[in-house]
Amino acid sequence: MKKSLLGIMSLVLIPSLLAGCSGGKSANPADDGGVQTIRILSSDDFAGFREKAVEEFNAKNPDIKVVLDHVAYDQLHDKELASFNASGEAAYDIVDVDEIWTSEYANAGFILPVTDRYTDEMKQGILPASLQIASLGEEIYGVPMFNDVVFFYYNEELLKKAGFDHPPVTWDEFTSMSQALQEKGITPGSASAWGWSANEGLVAYFAEFLGSFGGKFMDETGKPVFNDEKGVQALTFMADSMKNGVIDKASINYNDRQVLDAFKNGKTAFVAGWSFYWGELNGSDSKVKGKVKVGMVPAAEGAPHTAATGSMYLAITPQSEHEDAAWKFIEYLGSKEVQKQQSLDAGSLPIWKDLYSDEDLNKNFAALKDMEKQLEQVISRPSLDAYNEFSKNMQIALQSVLTGQKDAKTALDELVATTEELQANGN
Amino acid sequence: MIKKLRPFGYLLPSFLVILSVTLLPLLYAIFISFINLTKNVHKLDNPKLWDYVGFENFAKVLSDSSFWQAVGRTMYFTVTSVGLEFALGMAFALILNEKFAGRGFVRGFMLIPWALPTIVNAVLWKWLYDPDHGTITVLLATLGITDGHFNILGSSFSAMNAIIIADVWKNTAFVTLILLAAMQSLPAEAYEAGKIDGASAFRRFFSITLPLLSPAILVALIMRTMEAFKVFDIIYIMTGGGPAGGTQVLSFLTYQTSMMFGKFSYGSSLAFVMSIFILIFAFIYIKILYKKAE
Repeated sequence: MKKSLLGIMSLVLIPSLLAGCSGGKSANPADDGGVQTIRILSSDDFAGFREKAVEEFNAKNPDIKVVLDHVAYDQLHDKELASFNASGEAAYDIVDVDEIWTSEYANAGFILPVTDRYTDEMKQGILPASLQIASLGEEIYGVPMFNDVVFFYYNEELLKKAGFDHPPVTWDEFTSMSQALQEKGITPGSASAWGWSANEGLVAYFAEFLGSFGGKFMDETGKPVFNDEKGVQALTFMADSMKNGVIDKASINYNDRQVLDAFKNGKTAFVAGWSFYWGELNGSDSKVKGKVKVGMVPAAEGAPHTAATGSMYLAITPQSEHEDAAWKFIEYLGSKEVQKQQSLDAGSLPIWKDLYSDEDLNKNFAALKDMEKQLEQVISRPSLDAYNEFSKNMQIALQSVLTGQKDAKTALDELVATTEELQANGN
Repeated sequence: MIKKLRPFGYLLPSFLVILSVTLLPLLYAIFISFINLTKNVHKLDNPKLWDYVGFENFAKVLSDSSFWQAVGRTMYFTVTSVGLEFALGMAFALILNEKFAGRGFVRGFMLIPWALPTIVNAVLWKWLYDPDHGTITVLLATLGITDGHFNILGSSFSAMNAIIIADVWKNTAFVTLILLAAMQSLPAEAYEAGKIDGASAFRRFFSITLPLLSPAILVALIMRTMEAFKVFDIIYIMTGGGPAGGTQVLSFLTYQTSMMFGKFSYGSSLAFVMSIFILIFAFIYIKILYKKAE
């Protein structure tokens, strides 16, 4: 009796297992009834807005069903890299691509060029700088979703309390203001925290300092030059500021998302962050709603006030079986109407030139003018096939200086050497 | 005939499970560590494009300085955490093996850290170490042990040891559990005989308890060593391999190589070298402990 029971169980189990193994295609409910399912993998940053947009799009297009998955930015690249080798439910039609990944993704064929799909209106109406981030060589690989840099936000109320009527213009002024804010007890600890843990944000922050001290990553020939005098000054300033408490010592534990919380609760007076901060800072749960302004990134004497760029775009993968439907959705998110709505709701900067002079937008998006000014002075992280390896090396080098294990010159010299090696190995 | 085949029929379902989730991926990993597979996904479709490199990937692993640094860190983590877990686990097991009021309650309570998912444990300890508000940070400063708030996760050396403490806190319970279970089945006669012969408590521990516990110790040590050598999640959450790469252990390096940099072949080779290390550990343990038991 018992034996036969076991036999039945195994008989039931085997087919279900086999079905599980071969399930991939037939189990895909996507194409039932002519509805095409489009799956998107997106970063968390604008997910709130995108969810709403997806709902609207789905309502307007009964024959397409868009499904949005989103993960924290720090996990996005690795999850995408894994999905490019996957099939079925684990693969995506559309992925969210950071400008620094273009070279890697496009050269490996993970994303499809969409140059032919671009209309003349798009080619002429979208900011050239925005198109640039989604381009490699002659091809365009997607539609940028916003124009983003690491902005310098300040809490006007706290600065006024300390007797300052303007945000810091130079890094020296940033230091003296931070000290004053802390000494007067206006901020409970250091006046700012930065996201300098081992994450991509650290490289973006370094870019910000590098540029605003007058340095750059590569020269015209693509040779790394960030170990020059300017680069060393920038990194030394970062390390010293953390050491003497001008910048929160805990910065080495935070990423570029976690520093938002302290600022949002009025504990710090400055924060450098992406444009989605604006929406968060003016949300209903923010304690600093209406008190925050966007200033120019401080700079060393005579150097430009550069902010690090970090725009993202949506691209179609070759795994997609519904490229046209996928493009329709991307085009919809990139359209003027949705871009405008995104700026109003989430505080992003639109990709269309004429939206910057849009009356309605100027009236309802207080930071637009200030942000536009910052967009004129930017620095980009280098575009490399092996960008992630470069970035990891850089995070280790920067942190070894921030924790006092090495001096800036030694660490940057070593990093330039490994970067040249990476470039030489055909990436 | 059918009678003979029947047992295999019963085994078939579990064999299929093991085949699909363990054996095939394992063989695939072995295979790709001998070719040069990077991010280019289309390569596997066409056998003509397979780029056989023999043991080149393994040679590269062994000559890679970041690999040996990661080995050093992993060894430090493994030896320190397993050592502490074993010492504390043994002490707790001995205490919990004595009769006292509320023993059942304490035995159950002790298991709570072990029942926590590692991720929860990691986030919890990260908060305790928080440089501004962390309980431990503030306590150390208040007691005057550190000069002001010391950022425990802010330097390579202290971060590594802080992670070890978090790991020990969680996994000591596991060692305790195994040792305690074994202690309860030890023969009371041996202890009685020892007492009659006038052996002290220490002597009884070293001459009776330890040798008889050997098999249980073997199990606990092997399992903990393997787990500790593969440590990943707690580091991923608490430091992300930082600061300055100071907590970059082997499995983290492997993850980074494969999943971040897309060097799948090199990553597989790393994983295999790592498995060989673990096998060596297991071999040494078995040699030492079985010899003792004989």
